[in-house]
Amino acid sequence: MKNRVSAIFVVMCGWVVAGGIVYADLKKGHYRPEELGSMRQAARTDLSPDSNYQVPAYPVPAGDLAPGEGLQDVQIYCNTCHSPRYITMQPPLSTATWEAEVSKMNKTFGAAIPEDNAKRIIVYLQAHYAPENRKQ
Amino acid sequence: MNLTERCLSRRSLLKSFGLASGAIGVSRWLGSNAAMAQEPGAQKAVESFTGPGANPHWNSVGPYVAEPQKVPLILLTDRPVQLETPRHYFRTAFTPNEAFYVRWHLEGIPNAVDLKDWKLQIEGNVNKPFALSLPELMQKFKPVSLAAVNQCSGNSRSRLQPRVPGGQWGNGAMGNAMWTGVRLRELLDMAGVKSGSLQVQFQGLETGQGPKGLGSNLFLKSLDLGNPVLDECVVAYLMNGEPLPMLNGFPVRLVVPGYFATYWTKCLTWVRILNAPDENFWMKTGYRVPDTPRGNTTPDDVKAGNVKTVPIERFPVRSFLISPDGSSKIPAGMNITLRGIAFSGFGRVNAVEVSDDGGKNWVAARLGEDHGAYSFRTWEMPWTAKSPGRYTLAVRATDEKNNTQPDEPTWNPGGYLWNRIERQEIVVGNAS
Repeated sequence: MKNRVSAIFVVMCGWVVAGGIVYADLKKGHYRPEELGSMRQAARTDLSPDSNYQVPAYPVPAGDLAPGEGLQDVQIYCNTCHSPRYITMQPPLSTATWEAEVSKMNKTFGAAIPEDNAKRIIVYLQAHYAPENRKQ
Repeated sequence: MNLTERCLSRRSLLKSFGLASGAIGVSRWLGSNAAMAQEPGAQKAVESFTGPGANPHWNSVGPYVAEPQKVPLILLTDRPVQLETPRHYFRTAFTPNEAFYVRWHLEGIPNAVDLKDWKLQIEGNVNKPFALSLPELMQKFKPVSLAAVNQCSGNSRSRLQPRVPGGQWGNGAMGNAMWTGVRLRELLDMAGVKSGSLQVQFQGLETGQGPKGLGSNLFLKSLDLGNPVLDECVVAYLMNGEPLPMLNGFPVRLVVPGYFATYWTKCLTWVRILNAPDENFWMKTGYRVPDTPRGNTTPDDVKAGNVKTVPIERFPVRSFLISPDGSSKIPAGMNITLRGIAFSGFGRVNAVEVSDDGGKNWVAARLGEDHGAYSFRTWEMPWTAKSPGRYTLAVRATDEKNNTQPDEPTWNPGGYLWNRIERQEIVVGNAS
């Protein structure tokens, strides 16, 4: 009887010690190296007490348009009024919607994209930014 | 010491105690398993786009970007600039200026305004046109302050099914500020609006590359002179007691309480009285909604050309759960506080209800301080999940005109007027 009690006592002590070891391992911090992001803190700009209220230039981060036929037309014509992020920000859109968007830029907003270029732009957008083919 | 070595050394230690089986029991008892003891992987980034299904996230999915006078905000577009406010900035009734969302239409936006040259001009069909400098605006008129929500017409556009083109906002194209400035009515009275005038048009310093006369050249908005909202409009030079950030419309912006932000002209410089209806793109074609309840229609009806539209106006009642946001587990039995905001363009919010069973049963939340009819109103509610599992929290608000948030989606080609009841899944874990 006494032996059994002490045996249980020893086992329980063992459990506590083992539990402590496992727990210590669980709460250990894990770290891994990673690229430092490009978003740095902004330095203060010099302010003078004159009447001009100025802020730094607005950043335009590099876009990531899909490579392919028509990309150059997109870069030349679409970029006049807006950056390519206006394209990549959209959800995948149907081929009819992309056609309507390019047509709107020409007819409603006066983009004056020549017909051949507009066609290439539409084909490019339909080939990379529709539900069935969008990758990025 | 790498992972394998560490595991081996622990095993040998346990063996020396002769208690390997006991340790397995202890591991189980601690809720441990092989996955938990493994080294965690790197935090994953959110996907780069959503669709063709609805955006499942509270915010949109763009990267963070640091713009002048702003904390890092979610980038929708960079030129022209559109930035969304991350969810956690809505814990308080007033949204900090540096976190306030940004939406421009044309790429020519000011980086600088020289106040020795800048003047607000009241012109058009008036008896006495005039121009006022900022000091004149600040000193010649009694300042008025009012808390008002500024919400983009396309807020939550990424929820619509089918998806529609346009800024793919999550829920963060909104903010609440204490606006201080001059009553628009005083300026109109001073100029003397001629009889027969119809509308008042607002123009800021925003310009585009498009040909003159088109929407790609100027962004212009107008309100009917008979609209009672004109009595509530303020030409604001202070936002939360500070000058406006350039991206939010320094030096003054129009505040149209209860109305979508499309009318809140930034860098307001021309107030023009018209004697004919404004037919520019941004009134006649853009920012219009079907003349139906909630602006609801279908793609087929649009295609058939039988949808009558009207200019968008007031925003419908909405409410949000801000915290917890579902990104962390909550131990069962812990008494936590649910917090959020509610607002309506039709008047005071006087009830917010919360459900923890996906919308079957509702319990009234406690409302925070009342900052006025057009402000965010905070709400909170204590909540305890007794057992582990997945809970779908839902929140709905009712305003003083008895408008309540519906549980049905809405759809229109512009992606406007979304105000469906919001839901958030919360994971409750075992606490022992």
